[in-house]
Amino acid sequence: MSEYFKLLYNELFKIYVRKSTWAMYAVLTLLIIAPAVLILSFDDMQKEYTDNWREELQKENEEYQKDMAEMEESPGDFVEEYNSQTIAKNNYYLENDIKPLNYGAWTFTLENAGLVSVVSLLTIIIGAGIISNEYRWGTIKLLLIRPISRTKILLSKLTSVFLFALCTMIFLFLISLLTGAIFFGFEGMNPYYVVQTAEGFEHVRIVNEIFSEYGYKVVNLVMMTTLAFMISTIFKNSSLAIGIGIFLLLGGNMVVGIFSQYEWAKYILFANIDLKQYETGNVWIEGMTLGFSITMLMIYFVVFVVLSWLVFNKRDVAGH
Amino acid sequence: MSQIALELKDVQKTINKKEIIKGVSLTVRQGEVYGFIGPNGAGKTTTIRMIVGLMKPTGGDIKILGKSIQHDYKEAAQNVGAIVENPELYPFMTGMQNLKHFARMYQGITRERIEEVVSLVGLEKAIHTKVRKYSLGMRQRLGIAQAILHKPKVLILDEPTNGLDPAGMREVREYIRRLADEEQVAVVISSHLLSEIELICDRIGIIKHGEIITERYVNEDDSDAVEKKIKVVIDVNEPEDAMNVLKSMEVDVVQEGKQLIVQLQREEIPPVVKTLVEHHISIYGVTGIKATLEEQFLELTGGNVIE
Ligand SMILES: Nc1ncnc2c1ncn2[C@@H]1O[C@H](COP(=O)(O)OP(=O)(O)OP(=O)(O)O)[C@@H](O)[C@H]1O
Ligand SMILES: [Mg+2]
Repeated sequence: MSEYFKLLYNELFKIYVRKSTWAMYAVLTLLIIAPAVLILSFDDMQKEYTDNWREELQKENEEYQKDMAEMEESPGDFVEEYNSQTIAKNNYYLENDIKPLNYGAWTFTLENAGLVSVVSLLTIIIGAGIISNEYRWGTIKLLLIRPISRTKILLSKLTSVFLFALCTMIFLFLISLLTGAIFFGFEGMNPYYVVQTAEGFEHVRIVNEIFSEYGYKVVNLVMMTTLAFMISTIFKNSSLAIGIGIFLLLGGNMVVGIFSQYEWAKYILFANIDLKQYETGNVWIEGMTLGFSITMLMIYFVVFVVLSWLVFNKRDVAGH
Repeated sequence: MSQIALELKDVQKTINKKEIIKGVSLTVRQGEVYGFIGPNGAGKTTTIRMIVGLMKPTGGDIKILGKSIQHDYKEAAQNVGAIVENPELYPFMTGMQNLKHFARMYQGITRERIEEVVSLVGLEKAIHTKVRKYSLGMRQRLGIAQAILHKPKVLILDEPTNGLDPAGMREVREYIRRLADEEQVAVVISSHLLSEIELICDRIGIIKHGEIITERYVNEDDSDAVEKKIKVVIDVNEPEDAMNVLKSMEVDVVQEGKQLIVQLQREEIPPVVKTLVEHHISIYGVTGIKATLEEQFLELTGGNVIE
């Protein structure tokens, strides 16, 4: 076991000793702080409710209704939907006598769930390089002549890619929370928050919401990283793997869209990646269940890993 | 005789239907330095890749201390250290970080051992510099350091002196000799530099077109030279007188300044010298020149032509 830890240490060391990795973290930090600065400069994006919040909410609702009445002639679907949703939400606050949560570190962190895609992108880059770089540097020869099976080396590499993802997720979470606290203040240790679900509005802990938002996106991270890892292991080419990985990370939904009229579309990986569809009740293809999707995801994951393993174990290490 | 450390039995490798290695068999004993010579493309690196487990042979077997590299990979690889082709290490890490990285892939390599190896290859000053900034010779030294870190019983070096300066070459040569003599390590060295090989090896094998065409002990050629004429250089002060004496003895002789180059059989040397002395010619030196390995090599391989 300690042998495996030493391998993990080696792999993580090689990831974190390089300046390009730290450049990634710098970019991620910038992507967290820049929106905070923007939000701060647009005052009205962070509503502050005082003790008089009941009247403030009612006034807000009236304004929204006036807005919608004025726009009757040229109805913008998006604006109308947003307004009526906000009104409904405000009414929920009033009916249940809940004071809305002011904007702060937790809300900011929740909004940063979108940045999980950036973490996915960085992880794909790391995952696509972790084997092909050894070929590019020529160090694969020195790595594979040790008394350690290729299987173990492959697994330690895949594991360390996921450890990198974990560290980066924690980094995203902590820096978001810190930036949010500095720019907007702290809402308290474990505040509640109102969310919209399939059954209407619900009052939940914001921390749970953050974990589920981040969590749903991690599924895509894991699947696309494993796919990129497999492609780069098979083709010894990181650019190809990064390209395909990122394209499918962002455009996987499209693939499902194209084939959605067919019954077999539910077996496509990308139809199963968004597990949030089962929470919102907005299931893509009829007949799909959470259990089905999780099974499909596990099958795909195992296939990716087994294919990488077969190729990596069998292959002769010859010239570049 | 000491124990067999490395054994190749009829090893074959076919890539894309092309036979690259056509049944190579060889054994290297503990404490023996084996030179692996051949022209470009002969199959040296391919054979070495199979010995260290980077490539799988399509036929035959390779054993390290009796353990098959294919069937008992872990036990076999435990006892092998190697440089394969260029010494490529992680350029963004220091020499020390590279060594520690590889040390972590074995059990029980201490800090002291790493430092010992660093001073053995003479890299103390540069060990905390990034490998990116190393010269070829420095990388070669680091390559040797990582190969011997775990005290392997079989050391495989593919062109280890490539890029080293004369002093560096001598150090490596002495170090390899010491490993073989004192720690009974079996060493396989491939090289184009035949003069290098001749100086460190106990035995050489010449490979061409994926076959070992001859194998011999380095100081063996004296015995089969009994029939052959050897070049002998005789240093004298009165070359003309000596020429006359030698011509009267009907030997093959050429004059080069004050040196006479004579083609003689081994037993003919003492009578020739005796005759010269009897004719009052002062002799300052008699040197026999062996045909160098280089010449034999070219003779055997038909020149350095890649076919
Ligand atoms: N991966 C490969 N695929 C196909 N042929 C190969 C491969 N690797 C080597 N060869 C061929 O095998 C032969 C032997 O190559 P090898 O590298 O073993 O030669 P070498 O003796 O090490 O030569 P050099 O002195 O130039 O280093 C060459 O003809 C080469 O073209
Ligand atoms: Mg070679």
